[in-house]
Amino acid sequence: MAEYNAIKIVKGSGGFGGPLVVKPEEGKDKLVYITGGGAKPDIVDKIVELTGCEAVNGFKTSVPEKEIFLVIIDCGGTLRCGIYPQKRIPTINVMPVGKSGPMAKYIVEDIYVSAVGVNQISDANGEPVNAAAPGSTVLGSVSESKAPVEAKTEEKKDERQFKYSADKKVSQTMAEGNKGGIVTKIGMAAGKVINTFNQAARDAVQTMITSIIPFMGFVSLLIGLIQGSGFGDWFAKLLIPLAGTGIGLVILGFICSIPFLSVLLGPGAVMAQVIGTLIGVEIGKGNINPNLALPALFAINTQCACDFVPVGLGLAEAEPETVEVGVPAVLYSRFLTGVPRVIVGWIASVGMYV
Amino acid sequence: MDYVIKFAEAFMNLFNTGATTFIGWMSGIVPVVLMLLIAMNTLIHLIGEERINKLAQASTKNPLLRYMILPYLGAFMLGNPTALSLGRFMPERLKPSYYASASYFCHTSSGVFPHINPGEVFIFLGIAEGISTLGLSTMPLAMRYMFVGLVMNFVSGWATDFTTKFVMKQQGIELSNELKM
Repeated sequence: MAEYNAIKIVKGSGGFGGPLVVKPEEGKDKLVYITGGGAKPDIVDKIVELTGCEAVNGFKTSVPEKEIFLVIIDCGGTLRCGIYPQKRIPTINVMPVGKSGPMAKYIVEDIYVSAVGVNQISDANGEPVNAAAPGSTVLGSVSESKAPVEAKTEEKKDERQFKYSADKKVSQTMAEGNKGGIVTKIGMAAGKVINTFNQAARDAVQTMITSIIPFMGFVSLLIGLIQGSGFGDWFAKLLIPLAGTGIGLVILGFICSIPFLSVLLGPGAVMAQVIGTLIGVEIGKGNINPNLALPALFAINTQCACDFVPVGLGLAEAEPETVEVGVPAVLYSRFLTGVPRVIVGWIASVGMYV
Repeated sequence: MDYVIKFAEAFMNLFNTGATTFIGWMSGIVPVVLMLLIAMNTLIHLIGEERINKLAQASTKNPLLRYMILPYLGAFMLGNPTALSLGRFMPERLKPSYYASASYFCHTSSGVFPHINPGEVFIFLGIAEGISTLGLSTMPLAMRYMFVGLVMNFVSGWATDFTTKFVMKQQGIELSNELKM
């Protein structure tokens, strides 16, 4: 009998999920690929070589679910990418697709990894299968090992066992095309590019909905209240002496950069965005010279990211001591460079709009 | 009765003004930013984070690369806040400086490339809106914002090298200057 090895799969560029560590077992050693009309992706051979499993074309042959240890798909984000994660079968998607489609909620990191190419697959080097990806091997020893998973997943599984048994039939027609023709290859490459675009669009719309549009709504309402109520004229009188001259902007920049005040002004850049919008309104009315827009951009944002230092340093995997030193260090440097930024911006604005 | 009507009109006017502004942005800004976001997301996915990481490792030695080129490219490719994570390739002592520079780059380039920081793009758009109202192009402003940023963000990162040293002395903490991977 063949010897089985564990492999580790990480997500590729633009991908989602993982890393998964999976290992075939006796009686559960089938690698099923259900891709592009039955064409065989490169990663299949690599996985077979590393693990010693048996590869099966899912379009041609039907495999009982309990024998599958890993599924490879090339789904662009509709149905297929959710089906196997839903059944808690470890799934590799060749396409850079994240949570999407009607079954998006089942696509989670511990069972699904996408944008996988040959380079994303490696020997697990003794990494423990269970510890690295607790969910991914749940189906490994079928019913007994279900216990450690939370009851939730178990319920989901039971509920859905019957819903899905007819999938192979639909796809069999497509599989007649056989594997590996040049047309299929071109088709697959084009599909990958298209899918990258499609996923990019999905992400972009998500960003629009979750961050840009709500902010627009909030600022619009604010503008409405400010302008409609006459508060705008009053506030503009207050703001223009400050924002309407270069010197005033330098002072504004100085105020925003004062350490510890800068931390309070930072969050979400809300202050900067609101003040920016107000200055924009005054520029539009002709109360502020458009050339001053440049120094104004620097002046309203000298406190940039001061509130975010610990998190930002955390993203850079900094040690706790670094954070301790880094927070005041960044606040001080913001203070030192804040005013010069406004001044340089002011100088650079010469001749921008005549 | 007149007073009530006047009051109601004034009250609704608050929201109508807001609504006009909102729909103006929705039709003017949203489609353009969306198209840009899609194009940039695609480009970045096709290039891949891996190559950026390699570039980051190569850039740590020279201050000009470290606080100007790397954070500029990082912000362009990875956006806010992922660009900040490239700091992990720096020795501990330089991490605050990289942060100081990179976080500024997430703003100064956002006039030309709004995909960098969509959540905070109104710092630029708010002011730029006034320029558009006057019938002028906002591109000169965006370009100058980026170029001044390029220079001054470098100064900012570099100045943080000194403030870090100062704070280290003040707190009696010594941060490593060695790069450990």
